[in-house]
Amino acid sequence: MKLLMTASQIHGLPVVTVRGGEDVAEVRDVIYSPEAGRLVGVTLNKRGFLAGRSREVLPAEAIHAIGQHAVMVLEESSLVARDDAPDEVAHPATERDVLGNDVLTEGGTSLGTVSDLVLLVGGSGEVVGYQIDKAGGGQGYIPLPAQLSVSGVALVVPNITEEFVADDLVGLGASVDDFRARLGLK
Amino acid sequence: MSESFRGCRGRKVISRASASDLGVVSHLLVDTQRRQVAAVVIGSGRKTQLVDWGGLSGFGPDAVMVADEAALRPPGDDGERAAADGKLELVGKKALSDRGNELGKIDDVTFDADTGTLEDLIIGDRRIPAGSLLGCGSYAAVLEERQEDLG
Repeated sequence: MKLLMTASQIHGLPVVTVRGGEDVAEVRDVIYSPEAGRLVGVTLNKRGFLAGRSREVLPAEAIHAIGQHAVMVLEESSLVARDDAPDEVAHPATERDVLGNDVLTEGGTSLGTVSDLVLLVGGSGEVVGYQIDKAGGGQGYIPLPAQLSVSGVALVVPNITEEFVADDLVGLGASVDDFRARLGLK
Repeated sequence: MSESFRGCRGRKVISRASASDLGVVSHLLVDTQRRQVAAVVIGSGRKTQLVDWGGLSGFGPDAVMVADEAALRPPGDDGERAAADGKLELVGKKALSDRGNELGKIDDVTFDADTGTLEDLIIGDRRIPAGSLLGCGSYAAVLEERQEDLG
């Protein structure tokens, strides 16, 4: 059983230092690499009313944990200026955005289109599934293998994914380990 | 003897040397790295003064005894000024796990009156060993997450 959350739930969360207990920024948006199957970083807003966009970003390596109520970093120096960040964080390739992509099984069945990312609560940005608008209508959640191929239009998932479409995050949390075991992944 | 932050607030502070009344305890300043009471904050506002733990002759149930009035000092830096204003006060602070999950609000903190060592953080009906305290700032106190503290 894994506790999961969607990427949109991260938006607006405070970024808090473990050693200082200070809220040093808040999450503006997440930067995702579909190939790596994980967040590569988050962009930030300054903290406070009408504070606006921060010039700093938070690369995934500097994320201590992403929880339900805060994104934790060890200290304020974990935030880096955009220019000093790895290229994939500083200049994310928006054309590889998976949102809206068609999810196709290897057998050619469409499961729906991607509407959000699903992450492990307490992890550092591992994406374990997608929220989809199901082909037949309604919302569903699918588990992901650690890596998969994406084109920017469609993404291809193993055939057994169809058996693992869950109605909610709890259902997906309960089945994601089984799914990976079936694929021979840890 | 075990004392609590809430319990000692407002307690008289007396000079051992002159027996004079120096004010009352408003806050305790905590060294989060060592999980120790570092200093006692007396009074509030511009008249705030601090006594380091080592400057006490006793943290008693009826009065906090300061060895000598010379041990009184004003807040030394921005961190101490913030602490003296209560901005770093553990009691009433949001408790956040290092995994980014809220654990509740810290209702009280217990400590050993002889050594100043923090004992437990009390959050609702849970007592969390102070050893799990990682940091405390104006936003939250950060605790090491243990499975049994969630929920």
